[in-house]
Amino acid sequence: MTFEELEHTADVRMRITAPTLPTLFAESGFALAETLYGGYRRETPVAAFSINAEGKDWEETIVNFLSELLLLIETEYLVPGSFDLVAEGGVIRGIVSGVLFDRTKHSGGIGVKGISYSGLSLEKITNGYELTIIFDI
Amino acid sequence: MNDQIQQIAEIEWEIPKGFVPGMRVPGRFFLSNRLATGLEEGALTQLANVATLPGILRCSLGMPDIHWGYGFPIGGVAAFNEETGVISPGGVGFDINCGVRMITTPLTLGDIPDRKELIEDLFVAVPTGVGSKSPVRLSQNDLSSMLTDGAANAVEIGYGMKSDVRRCEENGAMPGAELEFVSTKARQRGIPQCGTLGSGNHFLEVQVIDEIADPATAETFGVAKGQICVMIHCGSRGLGHQVCTDHLKILEEATKKYATDLPDRQLACAPLHSPEGEAYFGAMAASANYAWANRQIITHLVRELFSKKFGIGYEEMPLVYDVAHNVAKWEEHDADGSRRRVCVHRKGATRAFGRGQREIVQEFRDAGQPVIMPGSMGTDSYLLAGTAGAMERTFGSTCHGAGRMQSRYSAKRRLTGETVANDLARRGITVRAPSSAAIAEEAPDVYKPSCEVVQVVCDAGISRIVARIRPIGVIKG
Repeated sequence: MTFEELEHTADVRMRITAPTLPTLFAESGFALAETLYGGYRRETPVAAFSINAEGKDWEETIVNFLSELLLLIETEYLVPGSFDLVAEGGVIRGIVSGVLFDRTKHSGGIGVKGISYSGLSLEKITNGYELTIIFDI
Repeated sequence: MNDQIQQIAEIEWEIPKGFVPGMRVPGRFFLSNRLATGLEEGALTQLANVATLPGILRCSLGMPDIHWGYGFPIGGVAAFNEETGVISPGGVGFDINCGVRMITTPLTLGDIPDRKELIEDLFVAVPTGVGSKSPVRLSQNDLSSMLTDGAANAVEIGYGMKSDVRRCEENGAMPGAELEFVSTKARQRGIPQCGTLGSGNHFLEVQVIDEIADPATAETFGVAKGQICVMIHCGSRGLGHQVCTDHLKILEEATKKYATDLPDRQLACAPLHSPEGEAYFGAMAASANYAWANRQIITHLVRELFSKKFGIGYEEMPLVYDVAHNVAKWEEHDADGSRRRVCVHRKGATRAFGRGQREIVQEFRDAGQPVIMPGSMGTDSYLLAGTAGAMERTFGSTCHGAGRMQSRYSAKRRLTGETVANDLARRGITVRAPSSAAIAEEAPDVYKPSCEVVQVVCDAGISRIVARIRPIGVIKG
């Protein structure tokens, strides 16, 4: 796991690191899923959906990507298990796969209302990228 | 407390202009010395940032449950001039019209021999937590009616009584809903979630009226000592969240278009009568109406269970009142020397209109508007009444709850759900949630003591206590 929760009074603040942009997007997706499903196991996917997002910069792209993922999660009852993503020119596109929500397995977390620009930072670090992001709960 | 903050009265503090560049008015907040020690620097900065917004009137206000939020602090109130002011989703929040309502019952504690069973039955009856599904099958047309008519629509499709509607702020439906500005994505999120409680700090609580502080007003509001009541706290679910997400993008662009200089991009905004500002208002009003319908449907589910379980009629479980916590509204207030129409943003704050205001339902008009102030799972809630002081000092606003003071993260590291549930059980409070973590994160001691917050709003003259209400069973989402 390459994400960790940081202190925040009202919401969930995450620090996510990854060697590449596609893995950073994937890990941010898992961080969102972990917030929603608390301690869930990634199972062999049974459903897949395309997911695309873009923005004026990678920060905006990741907010839009996670907002799209949240929409899929809420409307398709998807619990993400894997991502296959390509990042190019401010655009992220690919596939998110997973299983369907099961109350007996996925009730350990908390609902996320939206992805916040508050305290958002995405930086290039020595071994890749580091993202700090707040999920509004 | 930051050295620049001035204590101007025992429970009143001022952030002077200049605390952050570009402040047009000072910031002002209400806190006791004890509560002030826990105030976060981030919340102060947010309150000061709000004071930089164009057209803000009088001051940027913080209620005593103030804490760090998104854009505005939670507990933030600001009113804007109709001609020169702005509207900002950061002053409303992701959960548009998150709010709370209270219904009374003819029952007393002796009528509930098994509280644990009651809470378990309610947990089954009311869809709760992440992934819960609506008990209502809505078509797109049904949803459109709900977005326009709010609580009245829920009653029309069989969820509630006509008398409920007039006991809601705005009669359960804000005028000005514009469905064309509610996106397909918002509709997709809203259809399966209507009539669900949600998660986080949303709750359904069974309570007992423990103490009456103002017998005459309590009688007017229909509450009596020893009476069992139910409080429901939730909002506009995914529909409102998506509306906020969608319009934040539009208003980010509008901020540049109208050359609004902002200290924080979370305060993205547009002039009130610009196309972007009016679009957000229309979508926000539609979301607020959905939230009233949502709470109305949950109310019906609760009444249905109580009726079956205790053999009481629905009409014996009237709605006391329903208030919005996260909303921007057109209201008339005195500001800058004249009575004028202003747009009041309340972000984690409650309307608290005093006696005589025509917006208050006729039967309560001489008492002041009921204000429902939830505590935490283990601390008391309060039924308050709005005051003339609130009209004069806070654009008719007061606190919305106890106010969080510790993070969920630290609560989870420090506590387990079992520990919290056992502690509450020893105090006669049954708690039920989809997970242990949900209970730990919402432990009572992560919130400010509700009695201290209420004392501040009373000392400030912006509310008065009608009744103190003790929890006996809680469902956390």
